Amino acid sequence: MVFGYPGGAIMPLYDALDGSGVRHILTRHEQGAVFAAEGYARVTGKAGVAIATSGPGATNLVTGIADAKMDSVPLVCITGQVRSPLIGSDAFQETDVFGMTLSMTKWSRLVKSIDEIPAVIAEGFYWACSGRPGPVVIDIPTDMLKASVEFSGPAKFTPHARTADAKAEPAFTDTVIALLQQSKKPVVLVGAGAKLSGAIDELRRLLDRLNIPTFATVHGLGAVDPEAPYYLGMVGMHGTRAANMALHENDLLLVLGARLDDRVTGDPSRFAPDSKIVHFEIDPGQLDRVRACELPIIGDLAETIPAFDAELNHAHLPDWSQWRAIACGPDRSELDPRGLAQPTIRFLDELFSRLPKDSVVVADVGQHQMWAAQRYHSDCPRGFVTSGGLGAMGFALPAAIGIQLAKPETTVLCVSGDGGIQMNIQELATVRRLGLPVKMVIIDNKYLGMVRQWQQLFYQRNYAETDLSDNPDFVEIAKAYRIHAQRLNEDQMRQYPVSQETADEIDRFLKSSEPELLVFDCHPEANVYPMVPAGAALSEMLYEEE
Amino acid sequence: MHTFHIRYRNTQGTLMRILNAASRRALDMPLVQAEPSESDHAVTLMLEVNAKQVGQLSRDWYAIVDVVHVQAGISTQTPGDLTHKSSPYRASAAVMAAGAGTQQALA
Repeated sequence: MVFGYPGGAIMPLYDALDGSGVRHILTRHEQGAVFAAEGYARVTGKAGVAIATSGPGATNLVTGIADAKMDSVPLVCITGQVRSPLIGSDAFQETDVFGMTLSMTKWSRLVKSIDEIPAVIAEGFYWACSGRPGPVVIDIPTDMLKASVEFSGPAKFTPHARTADAKAEPAFTDTVIALLQQSKKPVVLVGAGAKLSGAIDELRRLLDRLNIPTFATVHGLGAVDPEAPYYLGMVGMHGTRAANMALHENDLLLVLGARLDDRVTGDPSRFAPDSKIVHFEIDPGQLDRVRACELPIIGDLAETIPAFDAELNHAHLPDWSQWRAIACGPDRSELDPRGLAQPTIRFLDELFSRLPKDSVVVADVGQHQMWAAQRYHSDCPRGFVTSGGLGAMGFALPAAIGIQLAKPETTVLCVSGDGGIQMNIQELATVRRLGLPVKMVIIDNKYLGMVRQWQQLFYQRNYAETDLSDNPDFVEIAKAYRIHAQRLNEDQMRQYPVSQETADEIDRFLKSSEPELLVFDCHPEANVYPMVPAGAALSEMLYEEE
Repeated sequence: MHTFHIRYRNTQGTLMRILNAASRRALDMPLVQAEPSESDHAVTLMLEVNAKQVGQLSRDWYAIVDVVHVQAGISTQTPGDLTHKSSPYRASAAVMAAGAGTQQALA
């Protein structure tokens, strides 16, 4: 399955696609195609493929390519290019997509001969999926696409061996166990690498054996059993109080496949001040970015976790029950949702509580993203999908299309804001054409809510250019696309439990076999809490409006 | 000033990815010298960086597909010294020495 949008330079490829057996999904914008391919890749672990023409088609892929780089998504982008003799002449619809994506791709090629296409395709897919997954670009001039060659079957790529590749020493387990034995307050941070490794069972076995406070990044959500007594939820700027406090106070931090980016660490100079860091990571480029680690353990978690767990099985570990009681205790439990966000949070709770266990929630970017991350406690490693590293608004709807196509039997719930949905709202046409039963929610606060929240808290309520009070009627827009839509308002969520009528509306929405849109009117000044202000330490969380 | 010697396979874009790691950090590059080296290619860069950046850059470069080896060291030479060093591959080397105020392409 591939996602794309045709145009001049790529026409020969589309001509060949017809009858090839490859299913092509036509989106309504190239950005929709690349995000849909990402959605497909994020839930399957296989490479997603996006196709676009030269020039504007290629440039419209760029945000998705950057997104795939940040979030380690295997993605193969195939772009048409102007005819070889015209390259460099500023020909019609010519852009240097190879050059402009160099810094955000893992690997790329501008094809110079039709003979090399099978080998280039094989190598591209290899690099997209190997090691730390990422995006690749294959740019093919239109004359190559028109030429003929004897096809001798798919090529196979074997990478050159790098003798100096860093790898964890087998004795690393002794060092980590020694650090654990000296530690009084150890914790575990689980990131996306845990999911990408596929070693979820091994991870959960290790965490059960360690039985120490554990938390996850936004991309690590779902890797840890949400019911585990040592699990404290999401960490970082909008993480739970318990997770952020434990991350601030620990004296030994085991990082399993996380980059430790600034949204997780808060002020790097005050991040985990008493902590020694043991960093399990497949990509050496991610080490020491924000803070130096004491012990890097380079390698695939699918190898290093079982090796560590096997040795841990024979080790004598200290009694950490006192630390566990503090970090996981009732004093640090979450405050009940209150304030202006309470009805919205209740609405999300109502939705999430009715979802089948294997559902996928895909969130766009903004306040609703953080509310969803805080409230959806998936037990599936790939059950929560969002644009985390790049934070690309407009991601969710096309990504949900890719996810629903990859998992036709699964309930896919797309949560967007009124800002983000309008960045790729044209993909409602793709949903309708394919008849995908995607469940779409718009949390409509008539603002660019997260920016407005920052303006409120840090810019003296100067709501500069964040007002979207003249939003269109999303229900009417959906109807124009022949998608059933309805609206819920805050008053329906003030009553707890919700009325039978409201419960029935939500049930009908979720159980429909057709695409559905539900608009929830959110208070314009509802905020996401807890919040670690930019530049603050993790322990300096804000909990509610002043 | 630090000197970095990076060996790489001379595939499309690899040298540019190496240079991008420096340019995205707005680092001045007073010397860049790329040339064939044994079975691979090698590029030498002189950069004014701190110790943290040395580690980050080295790891970034090593993460590039087709980079074979990265070596970092504190330089006792100036960009001008390095541009005039003798090289068995000098005939095909491309040298850009901003420090010397020249941009030469030796063919």
